[in-house]
Amino acid sequence: MSIVRRSLGIALWAAICILQLACATSQTPPVTGTATGNTTEGEFAAQPFERPEKCLPCHQRQYNELFAAVKSGYRNVSPLFNGLESAGNLINGGLLRPVYQDSTVVLPDGTLLNTNMLTSSPLTETRQVQAGFCFTCHNANVELLGDNPINREVPQLSGLQGNFDPATFRPLRDYMLVDANGNQVLPAVPGGEPPAGSLPSLGAAGITCDVCHDQAGPDLTRSFQEDGFANMSLLFNQSIEKVGPFLFPLGVKGNFHVASNDPNKIAFLKAGAFCNACHDVRVPNNNLMAEENNINPGGSSIKYFRLENLSSEWQLGLYNSTSNPFGKVIACQDCHMSDFPYAGTSNYAVGNMTITSPTPAIYATDYAAVPGVSTVDNAPLPLRQVVNHYFTGVDVPLLSLSELQARLGAGYPDPYASGTDAHGFPVGLANRRQDLLNAATRINLASTDSSAQIGQSFMVRLEAVALTGHRFPAGFSQERTAYVQLSVQDNNGFLIYQSGYVVDKPHPDDGVTAPNGNLDDEDLEHVHAIVDPGHYTTPYQTGTATNGGNNLVFQLGPDDGPDARVFEGASEGLVLFRNELIHIFLPGQPIGRTDANGHQIIAQTPHFEETFNAALANGVDNFRSLQPLQPRMYNYQVQLPTAQELTQLGVTLQGPLHVHAQVNFEHFPPVFMRYLAECTGPNGPAGQSLNLVDENLINTYLKNVKAISTADVTVNLVQ
Amino acid sequence: MRKRIAVLSVILLILVITVVRAQNSTTTYTVGEFQTANPNYPHPNPFYFEGKVDWNLLNISQPSNAWEYMEEGMHAQDDLGDIAGATQDYQTALSMNSLQNGTCQIVTAANLVNGALPATLTPPPCIFTLRLRLGSLLQESNPTEAISLFQEVLSIDPLRLGVNKLIGETYMIEAGHTTDPTAQQQAYQNAIQALQAELALSPVTAQTIALTADQANNAHVWWDLAQIYQALGQNANAANAYQQYLLATQWHSDVYPWRIALAQQNIKILQARLRHGQ
Repeated sequence: MSIVRRSLGIALWAAICILQLACATSQTPPVTGTATGNTTEGEFAAQPFERPEKCLPCHQRQYNELFAAVKSGYRNVSPLFNGLESAGNLINGGLLRPVYQDSTVVLPDGTLLNTNMLTSSPLTETRQVQAGFCFTCHNANVELLGDNPINREVPQLSGLQGNFDPATFRPLRDYMLVDANGNQVLPAVPGGEPPAGSLPSLGAAGITCDVCHDQAGPDLTRSFQEDGFANMSLLFNQSIEKVGPFLFPLGVKGNFHVASNDPNKIAFLKAGAFCNACHDVRVPNNNLMAEENNINPGGSSIKYFRLENLSSEWQLGLYNSTSNPFGKVIACQDCHMSDFPYAGTSNYAVGNMTITSPTPAIYATDYAAVPGVSTVDNAPLPLRQVVNHYFTGVDVPLLSLSELQARLGAGYPDPYASGTDAHGFPVGLANRRQDLLNAATRINLASTDSSAQIGQSFMVRLEAVALTGHRFPAGFSQERTAYVQLSVQDNNGFLIYQSGYVVDKPHPDDGVTAPNGNLDDEDLEHVHAIVDPGHYTTPYQTGTATNGGNNLVFQLGPDDGPDARVFEGASEGLVLFRNELIHIFLPGQPIGRTDANGHQIIAQTPHFEETFNAALANGVDNFRSLQPLQPRMYNYQVQLPTAQELTQLGVTLQGPLHVHAQVNFEHFPPVFMRYLAECTGPNGPAGQSLNLVDENLINTYLKNVKAISTADVTVNLVQ
Repeated sequence: MRKRIAVLSVILLILVITVVRAQNSTTTYTVGEFQTANPNYPHPNPFYFEGKVDWNLLNISQPSNAWEYMEEGMHAQDDLGDIAGATQDYQTALSMNSLQNGTCQIVTAANLVNGALPATLTPPPCIFTLRLRLGSLLQESNPTEAISLFQEVLSIDPLRLGVNKLIGETYMIEAGHTTDPTAQQQAYQNAIQALQAELALSPVTAQTIALTADQANNAHVWWDLAQIYQALGQNANAANAYQQYLLATQWHSDVYPWRIALAQQNIKILQARLRHGQ
C-alpha cells in the first residue's frame, strides 16, 4: 500500500510541478519594447534574439559549424548580396530598405507605410513587400528588433523614390559593425573600411541559432498562397522556448532556455517545409506580364514572379515522395545537414542512366550539447543522431580571409582550410562545396553516333540529369551558372568542335584593356552582353534612364545555344542550365541602346531579352535548369571539315574522334558581376564607390568549378 | 488495486503532459499541407515568350490550345527525337494561332490602352517560338514555307536576334538545291540581304567598340556571307567578309576553331586572285 501511495504521490507531485511550470510560463508578459506583430502569445519567459555566442558554451560544435556557413555571417557582408541589394535600391529609390513602426511614409493612396515585409500580416501593399525585401530573409531577427529605435541596426532611409539621396546611401553591411561596448559604428564613408577595433553586430551574424530555433511555425497569412512559402513567412517565439529536433529533450542548466516539447514545432523544424519561408523568393512587381497574385484578403493587388523557386521545386519533386531511389522523403536537411556526401554511396537507375551517388539522410551519432555543462544537475546526455550546421551549398565567400575576419570576427574560419572535423567532414567550406557539387549531376554520351565521316555531320547526344532535391542550379538560379563544356578532337588532339568554352579578352567597360591571363573571369560565348550601370545625377530620379539596368550591348555569340535550342529547336550550341530573367518591352518603349545612327532603338512590337537585373525583370523562365531525376537529352550536330578544307589547313584527321563533356559551375556570370561592379562603383548612380565589387575581386575570387561530372566517348572516323 | 493505481498515475501524468503540450501548440499547421494546384503550369505571358517547360511537369494528357500543342511538339522533338510527331504538333498549333485564319494577331502600339496592355487580346498574339521551331524543321524539305514562317516571326518581333540569319541560311539551302542559275543567284542575293539585316540589328558603333573592344560581331553571319560571296565569285566581298569574321572571332573564337585558320588561308587565296584581277 505504501508503494501505491508513493506512486500516486510522485505522479501528483510531478503533475503539479508540470502544471505550475506551464502556468508560470504562460503568465510571463511579452517582451517589452520589441515588435509584437510577428510573435506568438507569450507562453515562456520572454527572451530577445541573442547573439550566437550565447549558445556557444553548450553547443560548441553547432556554433562552429554555423559560423562557417555562408548563411551565417558571410552572406550579410557578401559583396554580391550587398551589391545586388544596392543596385535595386539605386534604381527604385531605396524601396528595398526596411521601414519600421515609427515610419511616417505615406503611400500615394494615403496609407501609412509603417510595417515591412516581416511585420505586415497579411501583406496588402506592394510597398510592404518591398520594404526590407532582401533584408527580411537575411536578417529577420534584426528587422524585428529594429521596430524599437534603440535596437535598430539598419536605419530607415530618410527619403524614398524621388527624395532618395544616393550620395548618402550605404550598403547594408556598413551598418553591421559595433564597438567594444556594442554601440554601432559606421565606416568613415559609405562603403568604407570597417573602423579600427570594430566588431560584428548581431546583424553581421546573419542567420543565427535563434532565427531557426525560435521558430513557432509558418505564418501562413503572410505567404502569398497561404502555404508558408517565401516572404520569410515564419512566426517567432522570441522567448526562452527553443525548438530543437528531439521530442524528449533534457532540462537545460540554469533555465537559460527551455527545450520545446511542442511536437508541431519540432516536426516543422525537421521538415523541408521549414526552409520554404526563405528558399522561395517571390518578387513583387506591378508591371509583370504573367503575374501571380497574393490570395490573402486585401492582398490581391500584390503581383509577383518567382525568383528563387527552390522550395517549390523540392515540394513538387520526387524527393518529396517515396518515389525516389531511396524510397522515402528526402528533405533539405537530409543533404544539407546530414553526413551527405560522406556517408557511402547508392546505386540506382534513372531513365537509361545508371547512377552511383552519395547516400542522403544518414546522420552522425554524437551529443546534442556539450556533456557535463549543459543539463540540469549535469544529467548525462544520450548519444543521438545529430545534424551538422554547415548548411553546405554551392557558395563560398568572395572575400579574402583578412576581410572576412575584419567584418565577422578574428576567429572566422578559412573557407579553404584543409583537414577534417570530429565527424570526419572537411572543415574547409570550399572542399565541402566541391564534394557537394560533385554529387549534383551526372551526364553520359552513350547515345552518340558511333561513326562520323569527313565532310559530314554526326550527332553527339548528351544525356544529363540532376540528382539534387531541387532543380540544378537552384537558389538564384537565373544567375547561378552550370553548363556543359564539350569538345570533339581527333586522335592527334586536333580540335574539331567546342562548346561551353571561354576566351581571355579585354574588358574595356571595366577598365581592363588587355587579356589578363585568367579564364575564370570570362563569360561564355553564347551571348555578348554589357549592362548599363547608370550614372550619378542630381536631382536623383528613379528608373533606368539614369540608373541603368538595360543592356547596352546584347549580341548573339558563336556558341549561341540556350536560346537557339529553346526557341528554334537547334541541335547545336551551349547547353546552359541557367534560368533566365526576361524583360519584355512593350511597343513604344526604348530597349536601352542605339542603332548604327545613334538613335534610340524603340520596340515596335513586344520584344524581350535577358535582363541581368531582377528589378527590371517582368517575366522569368525557370525551366532551363536541370530537373532532378528526369534525364534530358541535348544534341550537338557536329560538322566535320571537308577533305578540301583539311587539305587547305594541312591537317589529316586521325580516328577515332574523342568526345569529352563536363559540367562546370560558376558562382555568377562575370557580366552580372561586372554590372554590379560598375553600378556600385565610383561612376555609378551613387556617385561614389560603395567598395563592394571590382575587377580585382572578380579576377581573384570568381572561380569556375570544373568537371563536377564528366563523360567521354569515342567515335569511329570514316575517311 | 496496486496495479490499477499505478496505471491511473501514469494516465494522470500523460493527461497533464498533454494539457501542457496543448498549451504549447500555437498553430494549426499540418506538415505536408500545401497548395494543391499545379504551379508548374506557368501563367503564360500574353506574348507566349516563355520557352520550353518540362513536359512531365505540365500534366497535360491532351493538348487543348496552341501553346499546349507547341509544348508537346517541343517534348517530341527534343526529348523523344520524334521529328514527325513534333512537326504535326507544331502544325496543329499553327492552325490554332494563325495570321491567315485570324486566330492570332501582331501586337503593336495600337493595341495598348494608355500605354498598357488591355486585360485580354482578341485574337491572342501570334507565337514566335512555334514558327521558329516549325520553320527550322522545314528548312531542308520546304524552304519556302520555312522562310514564310521566319518572316512572320519578324512581324511579331522585328528586333529578335537570329531570325534574319535563319532566313539567310534557308535561302542558302534553297540556292544549294536549285540547278537554275538565275534562281540560285536570286536565292543568294536574298540570303545576303537577310544576313545583312541580321548584322544591322547588332551594329558595331563607337560605343560598342569602347565597351567590348570588338571591331565586328556575328561571326557566323560573316562566315555565311563569305561562303556566299565566294560562291558568287565576288572575291573582294568574300575577302572582306572573312576579314570581318576574323575580327568577330578575335576575342570570341568559334565553335569550329579551325575555321579561323581556314579564313586566314582563304583571305590569302582571295587576295591573290584579286591581285590577278579576278
